[in-house]
This record gives sequence, structure tokens and C-alpha cells, in this order.
Amino acid sequence: MQIFRKIQMTKIWRSIFRTDLPIKTNLDRSLVIFNSLTLHIQPVKVRERAIKFTYTFYLGMISFFLFVILTVTGILLMLYYQPAIPHAYENMKDLQFVVSNGSFLRNMHRWSAHLMVITVFLHMLRVFFSGAYKPPREFNWVIGVLLLILTLLLGYTGYLLPYDQLSYWAVTVGANIVGYIPLIGKEIRFLLLGGNQIGEYTLIRFYVLHCVILPLFLTLLVALHFWRIRKDGGLN
Amino acid sequence: MNKDNHPNQERHQLNKLNRRKFFTTIGNGASGLVLLGSLGVTLEYLTPNVLLEIPKVFKVGPIDNIQLDSVIYNPEHRVFVMREKEGYFYAISSVCTHLGCNTNWNPAGDANYPEGIITCPCHGSKFTKKGEVIDGPAPRPLDKFKLYIEDNKLVVNTDEIVDEDEMYLKV
Repeated sequence: MQIFRKIQMTKIWRSIFRTDLPIKTNLDRSLVIFNSLTLHIQPVKVRERAIKFTYTFYLGMISFFLFVILTVTGILLMLYYQPAIPHAYENMKDLQFVVSNGSFLRNMHRWSAHLMVITVFLHMLRVFFSGAYKPPREFNWVIGVLLLILTLLLGYTGYLLPYDQLSYWAVTVGANIVGYIPLIGKEIRFLLLGGNQIGEYTLIRFYVLHCVILPLFLTLLVALHFWRIRKDGGLN
Repeated sequence: MNKDNHPNQERHQLNKLNRRKFFTTIGNGASGLVLLGSLGVTLEYLTPNVLLEIPKVFKVGPIDNIQLDSVIYNPEHRVFVMREKEGYFYAISSVCTHLGCNTNWNPAGDANYPEGIITCPCHGSKFTKKGEVIDGPAPRPLDKFKLYIEDNKLVVNTDEIVDEDEMYLKV
């Protein structure tokens, strides 16, 4: 305990955690949150009722945790994957049968992705049935809808990356659905595929979307989503 | 230089283009132009100039080797080349008009179409041997391609989609 006190008094500690010690009052406690870059996204205080398991079922937090798992496993998978034909399929097979623990990572990525879609959807149902979308939380509901769409798009773009028959035809069907958008559908389809049919360009486009663009937007929106929970007065 | 105090003059001054407004407008306009231009350039960049796709034109034959009442399937170009009993040829796409899956030729056909039908495995669309929709979600018939003869071989151009009256090649 004495050592911990001493560490807390060092210059390095004090330059990271800038709250005056010791913490005694509620004001001190809230200042810890306010003055921290990472914690300020959290509410200063949370009512016990609001974090009851049976109220939220922790679905939002589970979704976020799954996203963290997906990010970590995804980055590790990237180290053995080349988004090119025919390497993509071979690399996926290598991950399954040659790379140590590769199939474990791949399965973790795949199952987490499936689960994330389910938990995000259940989270949306929970918010709907407990009326948590009503004012003043309507803005956060809209962000939530965008997050659902991003989750589905991440699933869709990730689906092509193994580059097997299932991927190829699923993305063919998906891209043709995009083609049915009035007026600009055909152009969007061409830009999405980087051609008239799925090929090298499609694979790299989906790879960049899956690994960079979509996760970036998702992270930003998740931050906004969490921040907004606090600003809208917690969970009811 | 006291004319600014005059009320009419002041109102006039508000609508007048002064130096500050002029430069603000120029600046905003230039920024907008650059933004629009960069959007256009990015869109152009995203559109590939060279496609790594197979050529649209391919050959089948020689035609003497193609038997009467036969179906030749070219999986690379996704085209069925048919020769009827009477001898004429036609070529239709195997790409389902619903969502682009690959259709299959079923020579057995069904009760109403004993000559054979084309079926799609994805969502159950069915087409006649000529590519007309029988059943399922397909919104229009399969594409029909123009056929030529060159050096006793059939030439299919998948870029030339034709109507039913132009699709047959009589030999």
C-alpha cells in the first residue's frame, strides 16, 4: 500500500492521472472521470438499477467486446493473408491446416462475427422493447442503426475474403442486389466490384473496406454511441 | 471622411461588396472548387481503366463438329450455345437475370417442357431452352447474344445482346 502511494506521488503518475489526491468527495470522484481522456466517455455515476443484468442483458457491452475480439484476431489473421488470386484461398487453407493455432484464430474471428450480428440485433430489440429509443435518446438510436448497418457490411465484405465458391456467389448475389438501386445502381456496383464481375480488384477493395474503412467508421461511431449514453442521462 | 455615418449610406454599405466579403467569397469558392474537384478525381481513380477480365468474343466449333439438337456450355464466358434439330444456332447467357447466379442446363426438362429447361440453383428461377422465364423471381429472359461465322467457326460476342428475332443463325 505504501509503495502504491509512493508511485501515485511520482511525477510520471501525476502527469498521466492529473486529479489531486487523495480522493475524498463526490466532486473528486467526478473529476477523475472528467479529467481523463479515456474515462470521460463513461458516466460520472451510474444508478444501480440501470446496470441490472435483466435490464440491458449487457448486450451492447457484449457486442463491443466481440468487436475487440474481432479486431485482435483480425489483425493477427492479416499477417498470413494476401488479398490476391489465387493466394487468398490458399492462405485461408494454410491458416486452417498449416499455421499453428491458425484455425483457432480463424474460427474465433468467424464465430465472433456471427455472434456480433446476433448480439447487435438483440441489443436493438432490447432498446426497442424497453422504449429506450424515445427522446432524448433518438439521436443515439440513429447511431445504433448505423452501427447495425456497419456490422452487416463488415460481415458482407469479410465473406468474400476466403475466396471460395460460397464467397464468390454470395458476393455476386449481393453486388447484383446493389445493382437494383435506381439510376446509380449499376455505377455503384461497378465501383464496388472494380469491374463487371468479381476479380482481383474486388478482392482488394473488399479487403480494404473490411480491414480499414469500415472498422474506422465503426470505432468512431461506437465512441459517439458511448458518449451519447452518458449525455442522454444514462440508461433510463 | 465622415460619410459612413449617413444612415442611407450605411445600408448601402451592407449590400456592397467590400474587400473582406470579396476575399471571403473567393476563398470559399476556391475551397469548394478544390473539394468538388478532388471528389471527382477520387471517383475517377476508383474506376479502373484496365479490367482484368476475359475477352468478350470467343469461338466455338468448327460448326460441322457440333451435332444437331445439342447444347455446348462455355463456363468461362457463361454462355450456352445451342444447335436445334433443324440446324440453326443460337447463344444465350447462363447468368440468371435475377441476381446473377449461374444457371444449369437440364436436358430432362419437366412435364410441360420435355425438350429441356434451364434452372437457377440460387432462388429457383426456371427458363425455357430459348431463355424465356417459366417460373421464379427472374424479372426478364436470359440475355441472347449475336452469332457470326468466321473460318467455319461460330463467333459469340457477349457484348452484343440481341432480340429474339436476331438471335438465330441459320446455316
